[in-house]
Amino acid sequence: MMNAERPPRIVVPPPRRGLDMAAGYGWVQSPAIRAGDFLFVSGLVAIDPDSGERLNGTLTSEAHRAFQNLRLVLECAGSSLARLVQIRAMIYDRIEYDALNRVYRQYVPEGPPARTVWSVRIIDAFKVQLDAIALV
Amino acid sequence: MPVSREIVVPQNDRLNVSRNFNLPHSPGIRAGDFVFLSGMLSTDPATGERSPGTMAHETRQTLTNMQHMLESAGSSLERVVKINVLLYDMLEFDNMNAVYRQFFPRDPPARTACGVQLSAGMKIEIECIALVG
Repeated sequence: MMNAERPPRIVVPPPRRGLDMAAGYGWVQSPAIRAGDFLFVSGLVAIDPDSGERLNGTLTSEAHRAFQNLRLVLECAGSSLARLVQIRAMIYDRIEYDALNRVYRQYVPEGPPARTVWSVRIIDAFKVQLDAIALV
Repeated sequence: MPVSREIVVPQNDRLNVSRNFNLPHSPGIRAGDFVFLSGMLSTDPATGERSPGTMAHETRQTLTNMQHMLESAGSSLERVVKINVLLYDMLEFDNMNAVYRQFFPRDPPARTACGVQLSAGMKIEIECIALVG
């Protein structure tokens, strides 16, 4: 029996064809899920939003692309970079921490979200991955 | 009215890894409409022991246990909104994905996967946030 009070769970569609990772890469994930006032975004890497091509590059170039992709997904769901609550910024090597920060502050200049930086292995040898929760 | 905060435990006591291994975390916390689960490893639901194996085996066992945890909390796999998958080696991503797909046949949750060093020689750890109800 459906409960009328059941909180909604809404799948956010890919903002551009290239960001449909399920169709393009077979990854089993939705671009983002909206649940109540919150938006949970899948990890974003430097993918060309139109062609879906991997844009492996420097940490700086990848961070710009990942943030621009994050902005596309957020805006597609009625949110924005200014509404971010939490980010897990994943980088491939701690030595690039300062390089990440230089790009990072350009996208969240005012009242940046809570953040943890993880040094991890990222798929397909990417150097940055952004994992975000935002308010809608 | 402050939002409620309750500890969530699995109905199957043997899957209460937090308590059985004396670890300083709760299996899950319910906060308002959301339940936040601790990272889960492959655990044998019959014995409560760790159940290491292939990536396929560990993924299947972990997600089966996660389903039990969520149902114990009044949620379900269909209500998961975000999953984080931690792998011991990104070369095994496709092996994880093949089993993962069987648990989320449609409208899968948002997901982030990354490669990290896991404890006890395990190959995969999964944590999630889900809606309750």
